[in-house]
Amino acid sequence: MTSTSVGAEFPDVVRTPPAPPPVSPFRQVLLPFSFFGPALLLLSVFLIYPAIATVIRALFDDRGKKFVWLDNFDRMFSDDIIYTAIKNNVIWIAIAPLTVTLLGLVLAVLNERISWASAFKVVLFLPLAISLFAVGVIWRIVYQQDPDQGLLNAGITVAHDVFTPPGVLHNALPSGNALSNRFVLKQPIAAGDTAKLALTGILPEDVPSGAKQAVDPKPESGKITGVVWRDFKPGGGKIGVVEKGELGIPGASIDLLKDGKKVGSAKTDDGGGFTFDGVSGSGYTMQIAPATFRAPFGGVEWLGASLVVPAIIIAFLWTAVGFAMVVIGAGLAAISRDVLEAARTDGASEFQIFRRVTVPLLMPVLTVVFVTQMIGVLKVFDIIYAIAPGSVRNDATTLAFEMWRRSFSGQNQFGFGAAIASFLMLLFLPYLIYQVRSQRKNA
Amino acid sequence: MRKVTLGFAVVVVLVGALVVASYGGAAKKAPASPSHAKVSGTVTMLAVWTGAEGDSFKAVLAGFKKKNPNITVKYKSATDPAAALSTAIQGGNPPNLAALPNPGLMKDFAGRGAVKPITFAKGTVAKNYSSDWVKFGTVNGKLYGVFFKGANKSTVWYNVHSFKNAGVKPPKSWSSLLTTAKTLRASGATAYSIGGADGWTLTDLFENLYIRNAGPAKYDLLSDHKIPWTDASVKSTLKLMAQVFSDTSNIAGNPLQTDFPTSVTNVFQPSKPKAAMVFEGDFVPSAAAGQTKAKPKKDYNVFPFPSVNGKGGDYVVGGGDVVCLFKDTPAARALITYLASPGAAEIWAKRGGFSSPNKNVNPSVYPDDITRTTASALAKASTFRFDMSDLAPQAFGSQDEFSDLQAFLKNPKNINGIAAKLEKDAKAGYKK
Amino acid sequence: MAVAEVRQPALRSDVTPMTIGQRFAKVPLNVFLLVVALLWVLPAAGLFVTSVLPKDIANASGWWNVFSKPSEVTFENYRNMFNNDTITHALWVTAQVTLGATVLPVLLASFAAYALAWIDFPGRDIAFVGVVGLMVVPIQMALIPIFSLYNKLNLFDTIPGLVLFHTAFALPFAIFLLRNFFAGIPKDLMEAARIDGAGEWKLFFKVVLPLGLPAIAALGIFQVLFVWNDFLVGFTLAQDNVPIAPALAGQLRQFGSNLDVIAPASFFSAVIPLTIFALFQRYFVQGLLAGSVK
Repeated sequence: MTSTSVGAEFPDVVRTPPAPPPVSPFRQVLLPFSFFGPALLLLSVFLIYPAIATVIRALFDDRGKKFVWLDNFDRMFSDDIIYTAIKNNVIWIAIAPLTVTLLGLVLAVLNERISWASAFKVVLFLPLAISLFAVGVIWRIVYQQDPDQGLLNAGITVAHDVFTPPGVLHNALPSGNALSNRFVLKQPIAAGDTAKLALTGILPEDVPSGAKQAVDPKPESGKITGVVWRDFKPGGGKIGVVEKGELGIPGASIDLLKDGKKVGSAKTDDGGGFTFDGVSGSGYTMQIAPATFRAPFGGVEWLGASLVVPAIIIAFLWTAVGFAMVVIGAGLAAISRDVLEAARTDGASEFQIFRRVTVPLLMPVLTVVFVTQMIGVLKVFDIIYAIAPGSVRNDATTLAFEMWRRSFSGQNQFGFGAAIASFLMLLFLPYLIYQVRSQRKNA
Repeated sequence: MRKVTLGFAVVVVLVGALVVASYGGAAKKAPASPSHAKVSGTVTMLAVWTGAEGDSFKAVLAGFKKKNPNITVKYKSATDPAAALSTAIQGGNPPNLAALPNPGLMKDFAGRGAVKPITFAKGTVAKNYSSDWVKFGTVNGKLYGVFFKGANKSTVWYNVHSFKNAGVKPPKSWSSLLTTAKTLRASGATAYSIGGADGWTLTDLFENLYIRNAGPAKYDLLSDHKIPWTDASVKSTLKLMAQVFSDTSNIAGNPLQTDFPTSVTNVFQPSKPKAAMVFEGDFVPSAAAGQTKAKPKKDYNVFPFPSVNGKGGDYVVGGGDVVCLFKDTPAARALITYLASPGAAEIWAKRGGFSSPNKNVNPSVYPDDITRTTASALAKASTFRFDMSDLAPQAFGSQDEFSDLQAFLKNPKNINGIAAKLEKDAKAGYKK
Repeated sequence: MAVAEVRQPALRSDVTPMTIGQRFAKVPLNVFLLVVALLWVLPAAGLFVTSVLPKDIANASGWWNVFSKPSEVTFENYRNMFNNDTITHALWVTAQVTLGATVLPVLLASFAAYALAWIDFPGRDIAFVGVVGLMVVPIQMALIPIFSLYNKLNLFDTIPGLVLFHTAFALPFAIFLLRNFFAGIPKDLMEAARIDGAGEWKLFFKVVLPLGLPAIAALGIFQVLFVWNDFLVGFTLAQDNVPIAPALAGQLRQFGSNLDVIAPASFFSAVIPLTIFALFQRYFVQGLLAGSVK
């Protein structure tokens, strides 16, 4: 498979190094240098020198005055936050490159079969044109916990409310001691008794419309009478006492229970009053229907300590998948139609073709996408900086982010930061070895 | 094998030269002493002020230009001046002046010799600032900074309508604040808005409670880390904080996901506010400016941070931006001296959103009552203390203390655990 | 074309190609991709809608509420943006830096890639692997040393300074891409030109460069996107001449995410790179592929 070159423009040529030209000092030194020199100069100044300077810096203390050998590395590996950073780097590497490549592959294959492929490509490419700074702003809005602000939680709320709509008085609390937290009357009640179901925590504008002054219930024999009302007036008022200016809660449904079974229900009138007829004996309990108080969906804490890493990875996928799809799509376009047609006439199903023909032929492209993503993921910085709120930076951090934070965010731990950077470069070593080996193979 | 190639040799030479160049920088000569004659040149200055604040500061600089027509000031704003400065200093080209958000940072920089003493301005500063403020600008007996902008952090902002609906008045003591919060909840409102995503709002709350609960003397000791964070006074203050933090049904939204500006807009609404009160300083209204339609007095108002056990009703914990000298030139000296004068402060004071620690600023220039109240509280406080986390080393006061108190907000029962964690982090932070 | 020797999978041959089924299969496929496209557009659409809302409304509730109250839409935020000298100057700086930092790396990388592909010199393979290895150096690492260097050379806060930095960090990938592309040029072609007496420079300009255009175009687009949106480099190495992303960050007021400033500027600054991609999509794809895959 290795000799299959997908999409290269001049694939029929076997690549061998060009024949050695006649040897002269000019050809051997000056000529290649005149081509390679300018690039070499810039690379030396901007990349090689800083890399070496950083490794040296890592052996000095934070102020750069004292040579401390490997103390910074010692500190690094006993630091809890660095441990989190390494753990997060592992999560990133395990999830992001593979997901990007697979999603890119699937979308590229599917995209080949639609008539609006170009438009689709532009849409998926869109995030790449937006600066990571703005990407951070965008996703922080998407992930807002408050469903009035965050798109994601707003969507979940809509679905949630279909199945379990929030109660009309979701903010209400029982007032005083008569009701339990679940709005059940604590004391059993008997015929001829009155029930005063006092509620607070209701804003005046949340009281159902049409509400009138609450009326203190009068005991009647053979009946249980009661009232549900907003037990609050400015300043607080007397708890459990129906006072002037306190409104009844109309339309609340009250359940009467005996031995845990529901024996009746009533609705409150405009003054909050209700009556159960034809009851006798004692041992009843009473509750306001729980649905009245069901809390609305509060939103998922996407940017909390536990979900922040996957949340940022998703935002990263949003920016990266388009690029992968475009590149893989190009590879796909270069696969000879004949091969696919041959497979089709041989009776292969689309899935078989995908698995047995397309994927193997695309392997070189997929490898390139995968490997560049690996590098990108190890370097990931801006998107964490932009999305993670201050309270979860310690949970969201990665090595590249931590390196920046220790050195530049005012901590001034330059020796420590350099040690992280050196360690990070070490992590790139496998990639370097991979490159050397694949280069050897080609040579 | 192959012989060493030319390319490789070039790289070695280049890298060698660069390493030598960067480690062997020659020390620059100190500039000549300033003369009171016509000074000219360019001054660069870095500060955090942007937007409306940036415009106000530019107006202050225009006042300077009028007096010193030969000096050009190049002003740059940075959202994170500490980060911008540490890069600039490492690179050997800091601006002439920078306004640092806290004296802790000034101390850090003084320790590594990055800021220069401003002994030449001593007379002007002593004339215009109370001894407290001069002290905050001094490190090891030398004056390093001028506090241009102050902040009174001992204020609580509230929604007027919510208080009216609940029939409550601004509380004067901590215990009546807790009762007020209960009444607010019973009225259907949510009492507290906490911007816990920004850790500094939590340290400010802690400090206001600590100075009232433990007294200014202990406050100073804890500021210098001369008593441990496991001290009983810290734990009893954390207990006071927990009275708010554990009242979860009375806190708007998820406080750990609420940043400071949101914590303000939660309260600053003409109708349907998400919460009734927010603890923070006199800069709260500027965080809401333009973001909501709320009007001062009509929709929102302010009360001083309440006393604890009858103490500290007029204590003020505050902060300030301290202007420091990084690169000494006659023009830079002229500018920093100007910034210490009441005239410079009054230009901004008139425009609003500003409290000056300069005692000679005429209170009548403040544009409205609310600003005048908070600004004169800053000047008249019986006891003024600088924000403790701003005095602490950066690694503790601006990083670890934040995350520790955020952990406390999440789990307010864990008083001993948090105190121990704070002590461990403080030990590490103050050692450096 | 290329793919000649593919291992033919052993497949049964008694099934006829599906035709009706295929046609029906297209409906769910289109719907699925439409949903994906929607998922991709939604977050960015939020930014756009926010950019045309007055700030107090944008703060009060989610942007999607605009669809029930379309009268709130205003272009005030955009007007403010264009009246803001800092922003317009930053856009001008960004344009210059992007141009310089696109042309220069492409040119330098082409030279280097040619040498690595077609001129035999000692240490060539090692040099190539070395260059590729440099792809992993993170930008942050270079900030402090380069900051010091720029102050000594008076390159701080200059457009050449920004251009050089971006150029250097673009080179490893650019050389990698172009070297692989150039190496694919048929040897016969090169030999023929050499026999005709063309020198290396002539060969480079007359043969290699024209043939390499697709890869160069791809590289150019990639570089435009990257440089245009850079934050960290401009933020660290410039003061008055900052590009758009750091300039925007400087516009943030001390507290809060000032959506009324960020949203329109982010959106506007995305329009240019996006247009370039939409126009040159074809080259981008061809070139990238041809170079990076081998």
